[in-house]
Amino acid sequence: MPAEPAPDFPFHRTDPLHPPPQYALARATRPVLPVTLYDGRRAWLITRYEDMRAVTTDARFSGEFANPNFPAITPARRVVDKHERAFVGMDNPRHDHYRRMFTREFGTKRIFALRPRIEAIAHRLIDALMAQPEPADLVATIAVPFPSLVMCDLIGSPYEDHPFIIACAAGRHGLLQTPAEAEEKARALSAYFLRLIRRKEAEPGDDLVSRIIEEHVKPGNLSREDFAEIGAMILRAGHDTTTNMIGVGTLILLDHPDQAAAVRDNPDLVPGAVEELLRFVSPVQFLPRRVALEDVPIGAVVIRKGEGVFALNPAANRDPAVFPDPDRFDVHRDASRHVAFGFGIHQCLGQILARLELQVVLPLLLRRMPGLRVAAADGEIRFKDDMQIYGVHNLPVAWS
Amino acid sequence: MKVLKVHVDERKCIGAGQCVLRAPKIFDQREDGIVILLDPTPPAALHEAARKAADLCPAEAIAIEEDA
Repeated sequence: MPAEPAPDFPFHRTDPLHPPPQYALARATRPVLPVTLYDGRRAWLITRYEDMRAVTTDARFSGEFANPNFPAITPARRVVDKHERAFVGMDNPRHDHYRRMFTREFGTKRIFALRPRIEAIAHRLIDALMAQPEPADLVATIAVPFPSLVMCDLIGSPYEDHPFIIACAAGRHGLLQTPAEAEEKARALSAYFLRLIRRKEAEPGDDLVSRIIEEHVKPGNLSREDFAEIGAMILRAGHDTTTNMIGVGTLILLDHPDQAAAVRDNPDLVPGAVEELLRFVSPVQFLPRRVALEDVPIGAVVIRKGEGVFALNPAANRDPAVFPDPDRFDVHRDASRHVAFGFGIHQCLGQILARLELQVVLPLLLRRMPGLRVAAADGEIRFKDDMQIYGVHNLPVAWS
Repeated sequence: MKVLKVHVDERKCIGAGQCVLRAPKIFDQREDGIVILLDPTPPAALHEAARKAADLCPAEAIAIEEDA
């Protein structure tokens, strides 16, 4: 790394709905930027779209969490990375070997078939919200329970367990917790999933856990322990990410009433609007991460063997070379090249499901509650500055 | 007439599904999520969708061959 001073990372937002201004500055002046992490280690930030894709598709950049030089955003994250056993933290060929056991569950065939059930869940939650006194919190009534109910339906986990799963996910995805807390939550979720596997072995159902047991655990391709680690990853990802897109996505739509009306009245606009929301929010703030296995030139710098890289998707998604006037939210633009789900072999396993959930619930909120509006005093909305996955903790709304 | 050929490498496919979303007349997924090439020589009206799907594939499993 260069000897020059490197600013502390992560940076702070100056506007809750835009990434830190340092990303745009770096992109214009120093697109591969050296930064200093919490432990004094240096790492590189990638701020250009094309560089992000170059890093994430190049096998000379490793995604092995177990690599001692793998960059971590907090001390807690370093500890949980060390214990990660799911394919999210593996290079090929191991990554594809395990991931392919799960692509059936998250492929278009199976996920598209879930649509009627997902719509029914959304309707039920909106009924319950509309029966509440105003204002009501859209996060507690829709954004949290909706993806949880969908996940429980898919996975086969009892819905009453969802507060525990969400607490475990938050323990992993926070920025402020201690390493001991994060480690305890990670172990608790894996242990929970192992118990779920044993229960489904005894009493199989029409769910992901039962199917994976039949297809991969029984034939001996996948140990119960490995399945439990992958299952914990799926639970965390499925319960905590879409939630954030629903909360902050609704806020952004309500901030742009003309665009919200267009989405409400024109179903053809919905898929593109969801892509634009994903681009604009980029909730998974500090990923993807890699470590260089050899010296690799990226732009004007050479990233040396053993150096860590944050190929930041929120920075790539605001690159004006790919998304003109990138800080403008515009449901009419083609945002399909966004990398909010990452890029390369680790791109989100659940992205088809996440898109479908958002395509169902966001327009349904707008259609069934045409008077929907934010009902928060100044400063009442708490943004997730304390979390690795960005969103809102609460969103008070009214509708009549 | 301009010819465009689509190639897929099933060994690289990670089942992300981007191609099916972008160009459902050219690509599908098997039950196990791995890519199926429905139309290796799509008509001109689908060429842009084919290029887009290749661009969006995170595993670089789609290649496009075009006459210069």
